[in-house]
Amino acid sequence: MGLESWLQEGALTTRVDEVIKWSRKNSLWPMPFGVACCAIEMMATLSSRYDLARFGSEAIRFSPRQSDLMIVSGRIALKMMPVLQKIWEQMPEPKWCISMGACASCGGIFDTYALIQGVDNFMPVDVYIPGCPPRPEGLIDAVMKVQELVAKEKRLGVAS
Amino acid sequence: MDLQQSAYDLVRARFPDQVLGEGIHAGQRWVDVRRERIVEILTALRDEIPFELLMDLTAVDWLDQGRPERFSVVYQLYSLTHNDYYRVKAWLPEADPSIATASGIWQSANWGEREVYDMYGLTFDGHPDLKRILLPDSYPGFPLRKDYPLTGHGERYDFPKHTR
Repeated sequence: MGLESWLQEGALTTRVDEVIKWSRKNSLWPMPFGVACCAIEMMATLSSRYDLARFGSEAIRFSPRQSDLMIVSGRIALKMMPVLQKIWEQMPEPKWCISMGACASCGGIFDTYALIQGVDNFMPVDVYIPGCPPRPEGLIDAVMKVQELVAKEKRLGVAS
Repeated sequence: MDLQQSAYDLVRARFPDQVLGEGIHAGQRWVDVRRERIVEILTALRDEIPFELLMDLTAVDWLDQGRPERFSVVYQLYSLTHNDYYRVKAWLPEADPSIATASGIWQSANWGEREVYDMYGLTFDGHPDLKRILLPDSYPGFPLRKDYPLTGHGERYDFPKHTR
């Protein structure tokens, strides 16, 4: 654009939306809802070998009010679903949700009276990860897919 | 002397009309009793053998298995003095599945009986706080009964939907 030739060297022009989206997607703060063995894989993903910090998501927040990415990692029992919903409602917009593993996505092998058959029955989910449990690469891939969603947001303040 | 034999002898001698039978599995014996005088039986076992510890309190649903009654409440006793176990099974009819509480004999019976109530719907008369212990208070039904469907009565879909 012509503006850059008028500005001094080292300056770029872009839209405010794009800057905010770019910074937002590289600073996702996950809310780890770790309730089962998937949480172990999530911890491995966060620690040094797989190092989720490379994607800007290392700031795990155990307060939903400070986070914008829900990672449901594990099976959700009947008694846990209202808790999960309450935490989801406490997260400020915009927010995204990863359903990690077979149990969170569809109940997995636990087709019993006590278990929710997929959290997407009762709350929005953006990215599903298959596996029982998924490897850390799977979670990293899901985080990158969420980053794509963040970058593709049409309007600021409204989740895709 | 064989502790399990002396435990059986004690119940047999003191409560002859209460004993329905006995059995053995994997070297452990048990006695089947009626439910009417269960507190006296358990108190005698605790004080005189003595069985200081109630290791476990659970129940079994014998639906259509040809047993004396449909439900049995199982008391797994342990003697710290003699390092041995004994088991007492009390039989409860389907029409009136209730039995006197053992929580006055062993404190550990308190939560065990709450769990049995939670899962089987058996009631324990005189229990200080008989309410569900694991499932939500609003849960309909008793899921470990054999006639309870595997996937429940639709409880899994009984939540409000949250959308964006």
